[in-house]
Amino acid sequence: MADYLLSIMTFFPLLGILVLLFIPRDNGGLLKGFTLAVSLITFAISLPLAFDNVFTTSGGMHYREFYEWINIGNFFQMNYNLGVDGISLWLVMLTTFITPITILSTWNAVDKNVKGFMAMLLLLETGMLGAFISLDLFLFYIFWELMLIPMYFLIGIWGGKNRIYAAVKFFIYTAVGSLLMLVAIIFVYYFAVQSGVPMNGFGIEELYKLDLPYNAQFWLFLAFGFSFAIKVPMFPLHTWLPDAHTEAPTAGSVILAAVLLKMGTYGYIRFAMPMFPEALPTFIPFLAFLSVVGIIYGSLVAMMQDDIKKLVAYSSVAHLGFVMLGIFALNMQGFAGGMIQMINHGISTGALFLIVGFLYERRHTRLITEFGGVATKMPIFATIFMIITFSSIGLPGTNGFVGEFLALMGAFHSSLRWYAVFATSGVILAAIYMLWVYQRVMFGKVTNPENEKLKDLSLREIVIMLPLLLFVFWIGIYPNTFFSKMNPAMEQMLEHMGQGKVAVVEMHQPTDAGSHAPVKKHGHN
Amino acid sequence: MSFAALQSLLPQLILALGATAVLMFGAWIPKRRLWLTVGLLLALSAALVAGLMEAPLAEVGGMYATTLYARFCTVVWSLTIAATLLISFRYADLHRFGGGEYTSLLLFAAAGMSLLSAATSLIGLFLGLEAFTLVLYILIAFNRTDDRGAEAGLKYLVFGAVATGFLAFGIALIYAASGSFHFQEALAGIQIEGALRPIGLAGWAMLLVAVGFKISLVPFHLWTPDVYQGAPAPISGVLATAAKGAVLTAFLPLLTMLGESGAEIKNVLWLLAIITMLVGTFAALPQTNLKRMLAYSSVVHMGYLLIALLVGGSDGGQALLFYLVIYSFATFGAFGVVTSFATEHEELQEYEDLRGLGYLHPRRSIVLAAFMLSLAGIPPLAGFFAKFGLFQAALRNGYAGLAIIGVFASLVSVYYYLRPIIVLFMQERSAYQLHPGSKSEYLLLAGCFVAILALGIYPEPLLNLVVLVLP
Repeated sequence: MADYLLSIMTFFPLLGILVLLFIPRDNGGLLKGFTLAVSLITFAISLPLAFDNVFTTSGGMHYREFYEWINIGNFFQMNYNLGVDGISLWLVMLTTFITPITILSTWNAVDKNVKGFMAMLLLLETGMLGAFISLDLFLFYIFWELMLIPMYFLIGIWGGKNRIYAAVKFFIYTAVGSLLMLVAIIFVYYFAVQSGVPMNGFGIEELYKLDLPYNAQFWLFLAFGFSFAIKVPMFPLHTWLPDAHTEAPTAGSVILAAVLLKMGTYGYIRFAMPMFPEALPTFIPFLAFLSVVGIIYGSLVAMMQDDIKKLVAYSSVAHLGFVMLGIFALNMQGFAGGMIQMINHGISTGALFLIVGFLYERRHTRLITEFGGVATKMPIFATIFMIITFSSIGLPGTNGFVGEFLALMGAFHSSLRWYAVFATSGVILAAIYMLWVYQRVMFGKVTNPENEKLKDLSLREIVIMLPLLLFVFWIGIYPNTFFSKMNPAMEQMLEHMGQGKVAVVEMHQPTDAGSHAPVKKHGHN
Repeated sequence: MSFAALQSLLPQLILALGATAVLMFGAWIPKRRLWLTVGLLLALSAALVAGLMEAPLAEVGGMYATTLYARFCTVVWSLTIAATLLISFRYADLHRFGGGEYTSLLLFAAAGMSLLSAATSLIGLFLGLEAFTLVLYILIAFNRTDDRGAEAGLKYLVFGAVATGFLAFGIALIYAASGSFHFQEALAGIQIEGALRPIGLAGWAMLLVAVGFKISLVPFHLWTPDVYQGAPAPISGVLATAAKGAVLTAFLPLLTMLGESGAEIKNVLWLLAIITMLVGTFAALPQTNLKRMLAYSSVVHMGYLLIALLVGGSDGGQALLFYLVIYSFATFGAFGVVTSFATEHEELQEYEDLRGLGYLHPRRSIVLAAFMLSLAGIPPLAGFFAKFGLFQAALRNGYAGLAIIGVFASLVSVYYYLRPIIVLFMQERSAYQLHPGSKSEYLLLAGCFVAILALGIYPEPLLNLVVLVLP
């Protein structure tokens, strides 16, 4: 089974859809229960990955699967090429872990066309898992696009009032990036064939070895980077995110925040950065700048929101800024911080969207002013919300602290020192907007009579939140469980990017003081 | 004509003689479904014969080839016509079509298209093209109670007649210059020192105008939306797929034979491709009628295919045939859904009327959505591979500019392909139930759906086939 574990895991949800089609459409309970079971089994299938110690010792790809898929001479050549390493491991786990939680969260929220909804969620899971484990650029692209369709329908059919606008905006933004990436993929292949490097379909390990001229790397990085930046989303390409998040049903928002956004950052780590290492230094100051702008801008805009869901959406922009900044530091701390922050964001922002969902299901509004004094009516909810708020702010002891601290530290010890200084203000801003919203919603007296009847969390809702809380503290207190499996892969990746003459800055080495773009170009000048 | 020659043209003979027989006996036995079934079987047997039987002669009468390429085209067009007949069962009942006439005309069209793709001489080209366009004039206006149909038929007739004029004139010029109708000699005759002689160039220009009309390239596309809208939906499906494909497949070898000396022609085609893609795209954006949108969409796709035609050679040929087949599945399927949604009085084609149908008729709506996404080129549907192959071929052969415009056009196309999906699934309906659809309709739609899904996941068989048949 270990030989085919990745395939079984990826396509099990798809198999679930086939069975789902034969369940009568009006039996909502059975549909939901069956989907939940499918996603739990998928999680169980993926569990051996998390316990496999091979990741602590070797940074390479494991659980390889390789089949020739299409091979038509010079027309097409691509392979079914799967594998998982320390970088994708936890993202895969996050995906299989968060999917059952979202399905459980839809129990009372979705009653319109349940069958379609569940099918879309499962299709989405297949797409996400496939994208994380594809080692063929082309296969990755297929899975990447496969995520687009179900998400589009989730927003467009089961979303809020402006759902069509949000869905189309989401689709078009993503499609712009995708097509650009597709052109870039074709060009990469074209260059690869020209350079005479033996290719193995679009296998990324072979693509890593390409030594493209700086000029080509520049344009290709730009195309890939743009596409991934839309998905992250980086300022100023983030405008689809608040709409999509606000209009999407809770389950859609959770998946979108927890996993889909990670596709962008993962794309940078797996594809854009290692494939074009010589162009990377040119772009780092620029991308780091956008990350910092994203952090500060996202935080400020979040502060001004009167809709809780929008607030959480903008906070995502800020959080992912930290991820990107950490990764662009190109040292172990930053990289590790960025990586763990990807998981953290999945957990805490996912949880925040669930919390907003709980409130919305009870009151059918998300306006902050409608609430107040909820803590007195819903004590368990208040406790959980508080913990998640702390995690989102990055309070020591919670997961958020580990990620943000490492990311900022990594950036500070790299050429991005001044960016880190400015980014740190984002931590303070996050504390302000999160605590402020918590205070306005939860504390004080109940002023709105409608809030008098609020019921505390049901057992189902507590069950949804408990696993998330577990990881908030686990990562917060003993992150080594996760780092130990990431480290070899990260070291290998950094080493690879170092080969491209990237200035991997030594720790504590002072950089050109005061310069805003201290990374020098090391390309072929 | 020798027996070997007849045997070589057996598929076309089955179609043409079958059509004649159906027409004759149809007058005596007015049973609609019977003739549709007979036509279906004839078309399928023609496809089978073309696909399986080796022809004894490589060329018949110096006019038609029996190469693998020609046989492949015959198979595809015969199957398209078979699909048209299959989808028409309920539709023909609804509109009380004369079964014999309808069937026989469609079979004639198939014969014409297959002759066109097989043509190796200008006369053969002319005959094939006229054989099926003439038939289409009638079929477009086949629903006599529908004013729109009559208008569409007339429009197609007028435009078509002009195109025919250009074609005949172009052929005459080329003949005057070269003294031969046969492709190779004719093309050799109009060249001098690796370039086209002025008279040959003029002839080619005429040919291009005619082709432009037939496959609706901008600026010769004006008839397309009106005709598609007015014609019966199954016929619109034929117009959008096989009728265009036949012309393209006939010109692919012609243009390849022209080789280097066709530089001027290629410049014109290059320009036509660009304006076709751009104008088609922007004209499709504001459409609120499914059939009109599909008309402009077909214009845009012809622009893409023109890229493949320009690339030429084996790269271009592969891309063209592969794209054509997959485009045909999706487009014909979409018209199939329109056919299936038709009521006695109208075809549901305005977006307004399609609202919320996704909940009442989920199967057909989902299939339509899949066709739209395939046309938009979203993986894992087959349209994606088709586009990928085409743009890749363009980039590899130095047509980067065209490829980029193509990518841009397909990007914008996402918007107009999403609109039917939005109206079907995301808007509420002031509900009324349509006909649940007949078995034959479901069979065809399921076939198209499975094809674009299966070829999207595993396109290798079709790609291999396409490589195999190319000369």
